[in-house]
Amino acid sequence: MSDLTTAAAADPKSWADEDDDDALPKPTETVGPDGIITIVEWKLDEDDRKVKVTRRVRRRLQTSQVSHTVAERKHWNKFGAEKGKSAGPDRATTTVSENINLKLVAGGQKAEPAEDEAAKAKATVGTKRIMCRFCKGDHYTSKCPLKDTLEGAGMGDMMGGDMAPADEGAGGGGMGSKYVPPSMRAGARGAGESMFRREDMPTVRVTSLSTEADEDDVRNLFSRFGPISRVNVVRDRDTNESKGFAFVAFESKKHAELAAEKMNGHGYDNLILSVQVLEPRPPRD
Amino acid sequence: MKPILLQGHERSLTQIVYNKEGDLLFTASKDHIINVWFSSNGERLGTYSGHNGSVWSLACDSQSKLLLSGAADNTMKLWDIKTGECLKTWEFPTAVKRVAWSDNDNLALCITEQRSGHQGAIRVYEISHDGDCKNQPDEPITEFSPIGSKATVAAFAPLGHEIITGHESGKVALFDAKTGEEIESNERAHSGAVTDLQLSPDGTYFVTSSKDKTARIHDTKNLAVIKTFTTETPLNSACITPLKPYVIVGGGQDARSVTTTSTRSGKFETRFWHRVFEEEVGRVRGHFGPINTIAVHPEGKAFASGGEDGYVRVHWFDDSYFRSRPYGDLEPAD
Repeated sequence: MSDLTTAAAADPKSWADEDDDDALPKPTETVGPDGIITIVEWKLDEDDRKVKVTRRVRRRLQTSQVSHTVAERKHWNKFGAEKGKSAGPDRATTTVSENINLKLVAGGQKAEPAEDEAAKAKATVGTKRIMCRFCKGDHYTSKCPLKDTLEGAGMGDMMGGDMAPADEGAGGGGMGSKYVPPSMRAGARGAGESMFRREDMPTVRVTSLSTEADEDDVRNLFSRFGPISRVNVVRDRDTNESKGFAFVAFESKKHAELAAEKMNGHGYDNLILSVQVLEPRPPRD
Repeated sequence: MKPILLQGHERSLTQIVYNKEGDLLFTASKDHIINVWFSSNGERLGTYSGHNGSVWSLACDSQSKLLLSGAADNTMKLWDIKTGECLKTWEFPTAVKRVAWSDNDNLALCITEQRSGHQGAIRVYEISHDGDCKNQPDEPITEFSPIGSKATVAAFAPLGHEIITGHESGKVALFDAKTGEEIESNERAHSGAVTDLQLSPDGTYFVTSSKDKTARIHDTKNLAVIKTFTTETPLNSACITPLKPYVIVGGGQDARSVTTTSTRSGKFETRFWHRVFEEEVGRVRGHFGPINTIAVHPEGKAFASGGEDGYVRVHWFDDSYFRSRPYGDLEPAD
């Protein structure tokens, strides 16, 4: 009988022992000979596994002279959400971010670092720097010493495909390979415009126009009155056949009025044209 | 420098302020909570909870005893800084957009929003410091509504006789704190809404930031524009660095259009501009949203920025910052 009880107690899988196992060891701090402190902490991760966290830190005492009121405030009790918490920054709310260099230079900053990068990328493409597709080394891909190993690992297929020329479709003109939204391109007027926005050009409407007449004909017909900025013959969406009227935008109001006066009632291709100056529409918002 | 990242807020920051000695940093955000931190190590000292709306503005008195806050729940609250207790609540018909203390802590001002038939108003209260400070007057000593464009930001001029205001139209004006009379105004100080107004250490000039992408330094007495700093992004905040002749500005495109571009072209960097030469001298990146508010340590040793991304970053300047003289001998003597 007594044998049995001792056996149970010795079994490491006993529930009593297991409970003891869960208790995390106390964090330890050891100071090394070089002044570096090794802090060993234990914690449970999401899956309730024990995780040992070892941090090696060097502590340096920084003294600063502060006024009495500041020194007193250092010993204030925490309150609100922090009530009862121990002194020192809580890593849940306070972290130290990576180092940032603030270099103060006269003469204004470079316009945009992003553009610099794009320019650099473009420059390297232009000079055709030799780069191995496998190891990014300074030699041809076929001469790569790692060629066999990497190709065997499936890298060859992945990297071997022809890369599309990145510059295509950028459309911005000299903006590098980066996509630039139209509203941000040079010459853009801030935020995007509606595609239905009418230019505020003095425009005449031409009706009773022959359906045979196209943009060039209308342009020829009206260009004698002054510079034309745009001609638009309205067409059926499906058949692309002219609907028999058109809009002609002039650069100046004077020319538009002259055109309307002269061309209204003018015969063209067996039809009598009717031409009116359009009143500018109130701006839509 | 290694910025200290403070993650005490769940929504975008609205205003951060240092106390007079610069050891405490108060942060307000749209998540209704006000936090106070030790600026030296980023340790959170406590929270002030009680507001039921976005906290729009904060002000700490010169003794670091009383904290004023204005929020979207139409209240202004007075807090005991040490204990986090709310001492007094003033209620208004509309949201409180800005609060400020006078130099001697006797006067407090608040700007209420213009909305639903209520005019935007500026109210000045006389704050008593007797006893536990709970016995505060309910009625303001002055209440006035600026004619024309509504006020967005305000501060007491030195000595507390006048109030400097910045308006939505870009106007900057000077009002008498006792009578509410407009003493001076500069209608075209900015061409967009004024978003921030901070005084220089001696109070003789102040900097404003605006949605029109510029920050300007004005003379406190006659509101004349002394310096202009033109950037390429709408600005949300600007402050003047003591010790060094710089102005720190921050901003970024509107929060609602942020998702349309990359972080880089969003220009979410704090920029250092030389106060005299009106040239940009440096940048500090880090935020991944527009910068809503910037505060500088009263001794010029550090600055903190709060962003739309909900983070506060506290930057203690390196030695190189104090040593550097980007303009050499042209630099004004320290």
